[in-house]
Amino acid sequence: MEKPVPAASKVMRVPRSLLLEITARCNLRCRYCYFFNNPAMVYRDLPAEEWLKFFNELGSLGVMKLTLAGGEPFFREDLPALIEGIVRNRMRFSMLSNGGLINDEIAAFMAGTGRCDYVQVSVDGSCAEVHDSCRGKGSFDGAIRGIRTLQRHGIFVAVRLTIHRNNVQDLENTARFLLEDLGLQDFGTNAAGYMGACCANAEDVLLNTEERQEAMAILLRLAAKYPGRILADAGPLADGRMWRRMEEARAQGKPAFYNGGRLTGCGCTSNKLAVRADGVLVPCNMLAHIELGRINQDSLVEVWQNSPALNQIRNRPAISLSDFEFCAGCPYTPYCTGNCPGLAYTLTGQVDHPSPDACFRQFLKEGGTLP
Amino acid sequence: MNPTDKPIASPLVVLREEFDDWAVLFNPDTADAVGTNPVGVAVWKLMDGKTRLADIVSKVKNSFEDVPDSVPQEIEAFVNSLSENGFVGLELPGK
Ligand code: SF4
Ligand code: SF4
Repeated sequence: MEKPVPAASKVMRVPRSLLLEITARCNLRCRYCYFFNNPAMVYRDLPAEEWLKFFNELGSLGVMKLTLAGGEPFFREDLPALIEGIVRNRMRFSMLSNGGLINDEIAAFMAGTGRCDYVQVSVDGSCAEVHDSCRGKGSFDGAIRGIRTLQRHGIFVAVRLTIHRNNVQDLENTARFLLEDLGLQDFGTNAAGYMGACCANAEDVLLNTEERQEAMAILLRLAAKYPGRILADAGPLADGRMWRRMEEARAQGKPAFYNGGRLTGCGCTSNKLAVRADGVLVPCNMLAHIELGRINQDSLVEVWQNSPALNQIRNRPAISLSDFEFCAGCPYTPYCTGNCPGLAYTLTGQVDHPSPDACFRQFLKEGGTLP
Repeated sequence: MNPTDKPIASPLVVLREEFDDWAVLFNPDTADAVGTNPVGVAVWKLMDGKTRLADIVSKVKNSFEDVPDSVPQEIEAFVNSLSENGFVGLELPGK
């Protein structure tokens, strides 16, 4: 008999925010896109009425914020109607975009609502040659045009830079371009991960240990040059910062970190949820294979509070890293969080496993050194 | 705000009761969010534009056990700060 999954303790009544993949269509086909060629995805768009009905449910529950993603959310011709539904239901929104389809009309409309927190545009280099190498011809010009359009309309632009083999040498120029030329307050960084389209292009796209180390060194240097303006939740900068702390703690024999030694690397399911383009509720877009229910058919509150699959993820922090053969004898265990379950799943086939991608010991074993 | 004023909760503001002992008032136009306890939630629900502040205070006092003496002042301060932040308005006299 399967072990029953205990309800996670202290779950808030409803999520504060949701990420919605409002379309499975995109004007680009980036070589590392997690969304395309992902066996967990169903490439089908819901009609606007389905989303609008769902927004009514979210509004009545007091959900505060929605992130509209895709595919490319600006691909939807009925986007203004969707945004009106969000506004009507007393929520705010943000968008994750490649920038190429943003024009004055939609930017003015979004600005006019007063409810847009930000639009995140992906920029992977300081020039077309670098950016377009993974995102396709014309995509750099489109992204920059989109950013300038948003800026003209006073919409906050949050740039995300995905690091891959072809842009490590351009990081310095990219930081200068984004922060000085475009005048952004800050930008975020991560790295291409072994997911979706990236799996078929891994050889050309994913950083090897040497490149990872180099990216880490450059980013740590740039982060010191531009204090507080280069952000990272994942990727070389986040790893570099975390691994420095872990190395220092190990060397000084410090006590375990408060969240160390267990699978605490993901706290998203404490306040967020995601919906795939086909309307299936999932814990996160990185865990799109875990189907929790369907919008407008299943009650969001019921799924949020009682889904066994969701509670299983919430209970990951109860799992000790020392239970894994993978971590046997590792001196960093008391300081390690096991990191993102999404990458753990694509790399090991198990959600309840530390992610080998962000494993400090593995990085060292492969010859990496900390800058 | 005076004890005879009749505060009215902004219909735009969202009340999110997150946990048994904790709620959030969220203004989607400004993105301001204010955390509050069950007393604050009770006060919020009573601000219907028809009930005087003094009556709100006494109703809340009667519906909670072991209410400290300072509660009336705390409720007034809470309502005043919500009013300053645009979460609460006043029903105009004669309406
Ligand atoms: S990464 Fe974004 S822009 Fe590129 S193909 Fe995927 S969804 Fe489209
Ligand atoms: S082996 Fe890797 S994942 Fe496991 S505790 Fe050590 S650093 Fe963390």
